[in-house]
Amino acid sequence: MKPAPFAYERPGSLAEACALLAEGGAKLLAGGQSLGPMLNLRLVQPEMLVDLAGLDELKASERLVDGARLGALVTHAQIEDGRAPDPTGGILPRVACGIAYRAIRNRGTVGGSLAHADPAADWLTVLAALGATAIVTGADGERRVPVAEFATGAFETVLGEAEILAAVAIPTVAAGARWGYVKIARKPGEFADAMAAVLRDPERDVERVVVGATHGAPIIVEDFSEAVLAESLARFDPIARRLCRAAVRRALAEADA
Amino acid sequence: MKDVSLTVNGNPVAARVEPRLSLADFLREHELLTGTHLGCEHGVCGACTILIDGAPARSCIAYAVACEGADIRTIEGLDDDPVTAELRAAFSAEHALQCGYCTPAMLVTARDIVLRLPHADEARIRRELAGNLCRCTGYLGIVRAIERVIAARKPR
Amino acid sequence: MVMRQNVADGGVGIGARLPRKEDARFLRGRGEFVADIRLPGLLEIAFARSPLAHARIRGIEKPVGREGDVFTHADLTDVRPIRAVAGLPGFKPSAQGVLASEKVRHVGELVAMCLAATRAEAEDLAAATFIEFDELPVVADVRAACRPGAPLVHEEWGDNLLLETVAEGDLAELARTAPVKVSRSLKTARQCMSPLEGRGVVAQWREREGQLVLHSASQMPHIVRTGLAECLGLDEGRVRVISPDVGGGFGYKGILLPEEVCAAWAAMRLGRPVRWIEDRREQLTANANCREHHYELTAYADRDGRLLGLDCEAMVDAGAYSSYPFSAALEPAQVASILPGPYRFDHYRCRSLAVATNKPPILPYRGVARAGVCYAIEVLLDAVARAVGKEPYEVRLLNLVPPEAMPFDNITKKHFDSGDYPESVRRAVAAIGLDGIRARQAQRDLTGERIGVGFAVYNEQGAHGTSVYYGWGIPMVPGHEQASARLTPDGGLELRVGVHSHGQGLETSLAQVAHEVLGIAPAKVSLVHGDTALTPYSTGTWGSRCAVMAGGAVAAACRALGERAKKIGARLLQTDYASVRLAAGEIVGPAGSVGLAEIARVWYRAPQNLPDDVDPGGLDVTIGYKPQRDTGTFSYACHAALVSVDSEIGAVELIDYVVVEDGGRLINPMIVDGQILGGAAQGIGTALYEEMPFDAEGQPLASTLADYCLPGATEVPAIRILHMQTPSPYTEFGQKGIGESGAIGPPAAIACAVNDALKDLGVEIGELPITPRRILAALDEAERGGR
Repeated sequence: MKPAPFAYERPGSLAEACALLAEGGAKLLAGGQSLGPMLNLRLVQPEMLVDLAGLDELKASERLVDGARLGALVTHAQIEDGRAPDPTGGILPRVACGIAYRAIRNRGTVGGSLAHADPAADWLTVLAALGATAIVTGADGERRVPVAEFATGAFETVLGEAEILAAVAIPTVAAGARWGYVKIARKPGEFADAMAAVLRDPERDVERVVVGATHGAPIIVEDFSEAVLAESLARFDPIARRLCRAAVRRALAEADA
Repeated sequence: MKDVSLTVNGNPVAARVEPRLSLADFLREHELLTGTHLGCEHGVCGACTILIDGAPARSCIAYAVACEGADIRTIEGLDDDPVTAELRAAFSAEHALQCGYCTPAMLVTARDIVLRLPHADEARIRRELAGNLCRCTGYLGIVRAIERVIAARKPR
Repeated sequence: MVMRQNVADGGVGIGARLPRKEDARFLRGRGEFVADIRLPGLLEIAFARSPLAHARIRGIEKPVGREGDVFTHADLTDVRPIRAVAGLPGFKPSAQGVLASEKVRHVGELVAMCLAATRAEAEDLAAATFIEFDELPVVADVRAACRPGAPLVHEEWGDNLLLETVAEGDLAELARTAPVKVSRSLKTARQCMSPLEGRGVVAQWREREGQLVLHSASQMPHIVRTGLAECLGLDEGRVRVISPDVGGGFGYKGILLPEEVCAAWAAMRLGRPVRWIEDRREQLTANANCREHHYELTAYADRDGRLLGLDCEAMVDAGAYSSYPFSAALEPAQVASILPGPYRFDHYRCRSLAVATNKPPILPYRGVARAGVCYAIEVLLDAVARAVGKEPYEVRLLNLVPPEAMPFDNITKKHFDSGDYPESVRRAVAAIGLDGIRARQAQRDLTGERIGVGFAVYNEQGAHGTSVYYGWGIPMVPGHEQASARLTPDGGLELRVGVHSHGQGLETSLAQVAHEVLGIAPAKVSLVHGDTALTPYSTGTWGSRCAVMAGGAVAAACRALGERAKKIGARLLQTDYASVRLAAGEIVGPAGSVGLAEIARVWYRAPQNLPDDVDPGGLDVTIGYKPQRDTGTFSYACHAALVSVDSEIGAVELIDYVVVEDGGRLINPMIVDGQILGGAAQGIGTALYEEMPFDAEGQPLASTLADYCLPGATEVPAIRILHMQTPSPYTEFGQKGIGESGAIGPPAAIACAVNDALKDLGVEIGELPITPRRILAALDEAERGGR
């Protein structure tokens, strides 16, 4: 189970990385915790890997007035351990702690996870619920996309061929806000069968429910109601629907607790 | 082929490698460090877990070429490590290994638990072990061995 | 490594929880597994495998410019197919070409062998080998396979029925008269045994010895040698098979693989060492599976729940080929012979069909058919208990063979050697706290907690020998198990056995056996195992046989060695043989003693001091052993599971798990506990997690460990083990085979517990594994009035 041959480059700047991507046939390597298995299984056979490891600006994080900016290469373990700024009052470390296994979290990155856009991955659902923004770099400069709109389907995103997800901006969660996050999986570390995140922030007038682990982009329900949820789950099979509703019910209960 | 320089078990190593060569295969085939085992080659079973820059990581889904400047430590490099020595004794006393295939990586993970979570209880130890599969022991001996080492280190 | 101090009772012989001698190398990463072996000039093998489950091969195009590195059936003309026949009447044999020729019969079947300097490059060659197929209709389900007009896996058979086994009995009268009649349809999933290390082989032709030397991750090197020699047309003396350290077996490594034959052929053809290391995808999607049973069961009972008769139609999905040496007959024939379990009743009929499908072959997995039949009969007995309004354990107590009936010949002529089966149930009931659980359940309306308890009782035939296997007529019949014992010149002991230890701790437990007989410290005993050139012939490690067979053989060899030492010792003590005895590593006479080390020194280095009539066999003895009866030992156990079912999401949590086990006299209780714990963890996988599904086209649907779910540390609870120790009357020390036992009980105990938790909803789950999806589907159906 070895990868097909590929070339390897480790650019020294974002511009250089974008230029390599523009040549086509390349894939970005961040933490490699999803890409590695796909390469080994020959499910992807890129001509070149462009390793982002040399780009220190993607590893940097900073506190902002209204939140924090996390570089795309910040690892799950850094977030788990409080080695990255947390404007959410502990939500981010708790979520990070439940991603895969520690050995994966030590390498896997928040940006890589978002860009891979596995529907069952944690950050896509969680950061959408938190109202985070993806900061995307390309040849034409930087653009900002709400994480809620970042994934366009399973393993599909708004990223152009020569664009790189550079960072995420995560807004502060007010002290009075309530949060609930539940994922239903057969084992810890397994991909979830259902997941739901709930953010209730009366100050910002937010009442958002995000359902993840769908077969596409996360389902975002602003101004939650049972009826709207039922409608968004209509296309699921009865058992998936049951699991999703359970995840939502439990996440709501956690937020209420 | 690409050049890469890294440190393996404290020794500087320079090599010319195919980019697709995994770190695990590099360690096993080039450095003859066969204590690192391949179980699934897709990051799930944990048998290939080693230390990269001091933190446990899967060597089957890391590529040697991407480890420029990295400090790699394998089970062979933990011979004289005091925590690993305590774990080895506890693993033997608690019958925490049978066929021995998952054992080196299990020790790497166990060492990380002991050092990072000095107050971990049984439930937490089990959760932290979720990324290392063992098909022989039923895990009880492994959990007990880690508990034993954590308990013994507490008074210090 | 000094180990003695840890042994609480001060002893290191039989019964001591001696820490394992083998641990030291594994704990430093210094085990030597097959993938660790380095030979100069080694070439790597990857295989081009069939992507289709059933197809005719129209042509194979080798990669241009690399034709010489790719081999197909047309190149291996001098290799015979693997044939594993069984002597059972009606068995239909299949010939498995090591590389497919005309037809492929399952996804993953080998079509071309590709060699290169690295595995990655060999995989490139495999990817560039183009195979043209004509697709054939696929039969991926046993029921479909039995319908008239079904596609045929082997055309020459005329149907897909590999074997029909019938235990005859007339239940017509009972069907009319029995007060209680309970029927169930049950199914167990196809599984992958999933040792953490896969299969692997390093093959080399050694000119000096004129020998093919094959290192293989195998449980049975001697059997592999025989099979290889047959396929390659070599004298067995030209083949040496070595099992190095092996990363778990569980039955998966009890087979002659086509990959082994291919690698051996390539090493001889190319004159270079080659290796093939199975990767996880090959293991999951291409190589042998196990355990897919379908049952239609009816129990007849009186109003007390006393079993009057049992009727069963069973089907086993045997896959496309019969594996060497166990054949595809073992599992299905076993279903019919062991379904009655540890119970006593008078009327029995069972028809068991082995059906060929376009799926990989099956192998006997830890517990073989027992995990399935135990699940079947225990779920059925719970249904009987419900029908008569009794506790499930009460119905077990009523039907188990009582201790006063031991030894007991059951309805299928199995000879149960010893034990108190009902007592194991009583202890399990007490240990799990049944009364407390029933009280907790009564509080459900207040707490919302949905818990359930389940019990499973079974016995396990282990170390069964010649008379049993001769009856199967498969390529392998175990006879006397041999061991060699040899004193080294400095008084240490070398043991040689043909079985192989791959986690069972034989390097330690057999040293304890030797210590028990000769008094030599286990640290001074070394075990040579798994090498056909160095060890006596053995069928290998399978069937829970090593403690009984290799343990018995080592004891016998050590006894004989002790006799030789006594003769020499008597001479050195200047007394006669009749007045000396062997004690604690010394030959003791009326007026002094001489140690075994001194005796060894004299034999090897001071022979001038030996009497003229000394036994020229010296201090090196090989001897064979069989128990007094070779029908097997019957260990037994009662498992009790306490589960919590979350009916909103279909999750099952194991809250408590108790095993009351009787393995006879235990050689090393720590190792026995390890076997039970590890087996039970695998049984939990069977019960709740592990499933290799196939679609209608025979495509395997779990190709990674993210899809094929193995239990981890959070899925296996802290299992509690209680021992009973009823010696077997037939074995050397009273020990019984125990290695597979732990894996048998959990599917039954957990299924019964889940059904107990759901009983007020009128829901029963009749299929393993009990996944959230299956629970939710059953609840959904119940809610919609389906039951």
